[in-house]
Amino acid sequence: MMKEEYLSVFVDESRETLQSLNDNLLKLESSPEDMETVNEVFRLLHTLKGMAGTMGFENMMKLCHKMENVLDKVRGGNVKLTESLMDKLFTGVDIVERMVNNIVESGNDVLEDIDVDSIVRSFDEIQGTETETESEKTEEKKEEKPEKMEGIPIEVEEPVRNVVEKAIGEGFNSYYIKVTLKEGTQLKSARMYLVFHKIEEMGGEIVKTVPPVEDIEEEKFDLDVDMIVIIKKDKEDLVRAITSISDIDRVIIKDFLPKTPSVKEKPEEVKEEVKIEEKTVEERKTKKKLTQTVRVDIDKLDTLMNLMGELVIARSRIVDTLKKYNIKEVDESLAQLSRITLDLQNIVMKVRMVPIAFVFNRFPRMVRDLSKKMGKEVNFIIKGEETELDRTFVEEIGEPILHLLRNAIDHGIESKEERIAKGKPPIGTIVLSARHEGNNVVIEVQDDGRGMDRDKIVKRAIEMGLIDELKASTLPDERVFEFLFTPGFSTKEDVSEVSGRGVGMDVVKNVVESLNGSVSIESQKDVGTKVTIRLPLTLAIIQALLVKVNNYVYAIPIANIDSTLMVSKDDIQTVQDKEVIVIRGEVIPIYKLWEVLEIPHETEGGAMNTVIIRIGNRKYGLVVDKLLGQEDIVIKSLGKIFSDVKEFSGAAILGDGSIALILDISSIG
Amino acid sequence: MNLDTAVEEFEVLSFKLGDQDMAFDVENVEMVIETPQITRVPKSKNVIEGIINLRGKIVAVANLPKILDLDVDVEKLKSVIIMNVGDVEIGFLVEEVNGVMRVTEDEYDRNVVSEKFGKKSKGLIKKDENDLVVYLDVNEIVSEIVSAGT
Repeated sequence: MMKEEYLSVFVDESRETLQSLNDNLLKLESSPEDMETVNEVFRLLHTLKGMAGTMGFENMMKLCHKMENVLDKVRGGNVKLTESLMDKLFTGVDIVERMVNNIVESGNDVLEDIDVDSIVRSFDEIQGTETETESEKTEEKKEEKPEKMEGIPIEVEEPVRNVVEKAIGEGFNSYYIKVTLKEGTQLKSARMYLVFHKIEEMGGEIVKTVPPVEDIEEEKFDLDVDMIVIIKKDKEDLVRAITSISDIDRVIIKDFLPKTPSVKEKPEEVKEEVKIEEKTVEERKTKKKLTQTVRVDIDKLDTLMNLMGELVIARSRIVDTLKKYNIKEVDESLAQLSRITLDLQNIVMKVRMVPIAFVFNRFPRMVRDLSKKMGKEVNFIIKGEETELDRTFVEEIGEPILHLLRNAIDHGIESKEERIAKGKPPIGTIVLSARHEGNNVVIEVQDDGRGMDRDKIVKRAIEMGLIDELKASTLPDERVFEFLFTPGFSTKEDVSEVSGRGVGMDVVKNVVESLNGSVSIESQKDVGTKVTIRLPLTLAIIQALLVKVNNYVYAIPIANIDSTLMVSKDDIQTVQDKEVIVIRGEVIPIYKLWEVLEIPHETEGGAMNTVIIRIGNRKYGLVVDKLLGQEDIVIKSLGKIFSDVKEFSGAAILGDGSIALILDISSIG
Repeated sequence: MNLDTAVEEFEVLSFKLGDQDMAFDVENVEMVIETPQITRVPKSKNVIEGIINLRGKIVAVANLPKILDLDVDVEKLKSVIIMNVGDVEIGFLVEEVNGVMRVTEDEYDRNVVSEKFGKKSKGLIKKDENDLVVYLDVNEIVSEIVSAGT
């Protein structure tokens, strides 16, 4: 039962750890000499191993352990971080990731198609061969303490060294102590606790133990515990005190001088402990960080959001009702209510916002793998990953961005030779950026590749019958690129494994538009391509213009409204059976909402209220009976029954309890 | 049939449509309300009357007589039976709700196949010779609505 309870925490934390592992491995790949990153990777693997062990996932633990050992060797300078080793580590991390997924799905870490043992062995082999080439150090170690030497690095970490040094500077002694319990001792952890307690009682501080304290508490040790102690008392007092505890077999105590590890007594052991301490210190840091946030069930957040929506509606209703009576006394409290609701709404919104890093995080790894596969060199830059957006988007927007990145690597960035021939820097650059712009989140994928070939696109569009040749020649670039969003449109002649099946851009467009967003493409031949995705800040509550047709109210998202104006019959011209108006030289098609919705309508003469809609670069006018005004509305889904109705993206309940359908402006026109 | 034969007694909600009594399984029924103001949804399916505001929720309302191809004036449909069917919440317009009825296995004839209603009916409930109730299969009705075009 305990296990069930902790499983979800385990999965969440494993995923987080895996994510940082991937990040750090990538960092390591670009700067293999960076010892700090090596340590970080080591620590992460260690954490993962520990978590897997606690939950009883043996395979995962074994694999993490082996990778950890390899990192240890790297840390000790016994193994070089070659490209093939990096690949192996990446593969290892992937397998662990799959194991975690498997744990979610079927509750165990057994992957049927993967022989974990053979992978574990392959990591062992790395150690084996590399140890041989650098046999001196290892052999030395083996002589001294063969049974404990396996996979343990000999490196004194800077911060630990500093702690001990500082203590020595302040007049403390620092000792290495090995306490061995008698054979067959019961309650070993309690005995050790007494030892610790005694040392602390004497004013000492245990800066580290091997095995770590957690393991000692769980009796995960044999008979010896090694520790490093900072204390003012001298060795004799310490030994006397410790041996006074029953069941202690033997106590070895030595000076520990971090700066002179060449003291030939048992330097390796000492260093070994230093390393472990490093880990516990960092683990403690992580724990501290975790307490600053609370994991909340997504359902609860959704419920909170729904309640917030109800509150907004109820407030509007009260305001509407009280307006009729014009009571001075309630004005102030009403204003206060409105203010509080607005604040609350903002907070709830913010709670639902997550940094886009959640989406972006997985891309560096993917770009690396992909560019490697394609034999292209890509410098991948991420900007604005701290930009926050509604968590609903996080789940949806990953795929479209992935698609754009694939396109950029596959079609955009040229091969090294081609780039050199063009006089471009040999390494291509892809920039993935996010930023806030008004009430939108703007995500851009920009490459400095070969750009779109306008002529090819036009040719294909003519082939597909999307446009005739005459018109095509005068079409502005942005309109030409819009053809790319047509289903089945692909200009890449040979279908590559990665992309170019022609299913890319229309999917991107569909997903983005389903989120009330828009996509546009800018491109210049041989300079590069930029795809821009615009998303609203949030999905749940939007500002809308309420309009009336017949006696029904419809809502149009403000974000997509360019302007409103009165159009008289004389302003409307007919071009190729389409009604258009001309505003400041711009030809804008206009549609009557009742015609779009196919509802009967008696048209009166005179000027008509027209809302000019803008989606990306496209504009059109929508004629309605009446403009009612602007209101914050809570979007509610229409559900399965209306999945065939494309004209509406949802419905909203207005202050008076009536319903307004929300127009899906991108499906009109 | 897919009904568990071990169940000897079950409950249905009976209601009037035209001059016929009909019934739904009581377990799918969420509540019965007086027909509120219905907002039409243009371009939606023919059998769908529109949507209503059910305590802050948007719920689709279907015209049951239209689904069953019965000629009943919409004005006469005074009640909405709100049902939960799988993940769909939907209301059905009916004339008048009679109430919950206990039915024994003996009274339930699942072999009567209705030509008019087809799979939408899963048999007849016979209280006595003059009291016949058409037992409707709400799962079938809803899945037909969801999969149907306009």
